[in-house]
Amino acid sequence: MTRPALAIAGLTACFGCQLTFLNCEAELPTLAECFDFTYFPMGNSRHDIGGEFSAALVEGAVSTPDDLETLIRLRSRSRTLIAFGTCARWGGVAAMNNHLSRDAMAESVYGKEAVLTGSFNPGPLDRFVTVDFSITGCPPEKNELLATLAALLHGTLPVFPQYPVCIECRNRECLCLLMERGEPCLGPITQAGCNARCPAVSIKCEGCRGPVTEANVASELEMLQEKGISREELIRRMRRFYPEWDYGQRA
Amino acid sequence: MVRHFLADNSLGQLLDWLSRFGALHGPIRTAEGVEVFGPVQAEDDLLLTCRRTLIPPKKYLLPPRQVILNYTAADGYTLPDETAPQVILFGVHPCDLQGIAYLDRVFLGDRPDRLYRRHRDAITLVGLSCEPDEFCFCTSHENIPRNADLFLQHVEHGFLVSTGTSKGEGMIAGLEPLLSDLNIAPQPLSENRMMTRLREVAKNGETFPDSPLWEHFATRCLSCGACSVCCPTCYCFDVLENGALDGTTAERFREWDNCLFRAHGEVAGGTNFRPDRRERFHYRYLHKYLGFGALAGEPACVGCGRCRVVCPVGIDLTELFTEGGDARP
Repeated sequence: MTRPALAIAGLTACFGCQLTFLNCEAELPTLAECFDFTYFPMGNSRHDIGGEFSAALVEGAVSTPDDLETLIRLRSRSRTLIAFGTCARWGGVAAMNNHLSRDAMAESVYGKEAVLTGSFNPGPLDRFVTVDFSITGCPPEKNELLATLAALLHGTLPVFPQYPVCIECRNRECLCLLMERGEPCLGPITQAGCNARCPAVSIKCEGCRGPVTEANVASELEMLQEKGISREELIRRMRRFYPEWDYGQRA
Repeated sequence: MVRHFLADNSLGQLLDWLSRFGALHGPIRTAEGVEVFGPVQAEDDLLLTCRRTLIPPKKYLLPPRQVILNYTAADGYTLPDETAPQVILFGVHPCDLQGIAYLDRVFLGDRPDRLYRRHRDAITLVGLSCEPDEFCFCTSHENIPRNADLFLQHVEHGFLVSTGTSKGEGMIAGLEPLLSDLNIAPQPLSENRMMTRLREVAKNGETFPDSPLWEHFATRCLSCGACSVCCPTCYCFDVLENGALDGTTAERFREWDNCLFRAHGEVAGGTNFRPDRRERFHYRYLHKYLGFGALAGEPACVGCGRCRVVCPVGIDLTELFTEGGDARP
């Protein structure tokens, strides 16, 4: 039986999502038997995008002409294109300042002599190509990655939760940081799947997994503002992993 | 009426005795300060005057996430074969006992759920009386629910011990050295006005269709799911199946669902029976307060008050009851 060919690639990103894959240490031998990792620049020395792929997992935001070229080549050679991680799905940390002037940002980093390199505002994959599936998270959860790879072997794709982090937090009977401590927790508007990783250790949800389906953004803002947290502070927090919230959205 | 009296200073002996039959669980406080049902290591851990745990005891009967079937090519779908450990659940308040009675009717009624049965049979219920606060409104906190294997009612210097089950009668016989007889008059039943109103509403099938509260609820609700996670009688679950990395086996599991989630009313093709929050609130109301299916006319609300406590935006469906009844033609 021929093993399905996989591509694992990174665009503008920290490569932490691909590291999640390498961190599946217990499963790597099985995965190596199940799949042919044809294109995986971070993990092996073959660097040419040759042949075709059953699936491509693509990490990172698109922010340079090279990113776009890589993405289009992977898209045209892959049956299933998977946005792998929050940057690929939502824009992520690289996009948090998309509302500011690129010239001013370049100058603040490189000085007055800065020469723009042809890069543009970082954006998620689906702004440029058709995306078949997403694994969100900064970084993504191992179990969601493994469930996706297993599903590919079964010729399907998994169903991930469409509810917010709160339900996993309540299921674990964690202290509600929002109600009990008045902290600006983004759990109610953030996609679950992390099993409330941060609230379970008393750290408020920072929204790293991006918006949940039908997030009631307006109500979350009203509730937190009633607790005395400024709208500016809240928007700054929310923009950290996704720059394009609709602050008036209720459903 | 003769009931058995257990003195305060015999409680430790009672707990030791109970521990012989299974792992002792009861209301305890977590390191973060949350009151939950959990394993009791020492008598001092037990919260005897706890108002309510975050999640009710339903988590012992219907875990938040549970494998319900395993698939292999050779055997097809089979029930998981692990056994449920014996648990003594101590300190279950009357509202939560009523919640369990309701779940029993749902899961052990016409088509018994074998996994639920497995967990239910492994649990011994030790009820405990409590003091109501401003959030709760059970039928009567002195009325002893019939499904408690033992029920402890706080009285001066100790507890009155009674039972509603044959298993409990056997237990009381074994406890005899710790108990003495006490003659007291039966306590008068008291019913909270909110519960009386709720029963009236259920009987009349009132739905308050014109209330402005529906829109108010829908506008604020975050769909965080806390109201159903924490409800003793919310039992809706979603069923999912994940294939394993071996490419041939699979696990099918169920996990708690909430009627305020979009996916709750969603079917193949993306069609949704309840596309907006307002409709989802109507549905929640109908199920929770009026009942449907085999339990039509039976309010599922036991008055524990949890949903009023845990909602981050202060939504309280019982506000509907303070309005007048439905307009009559």
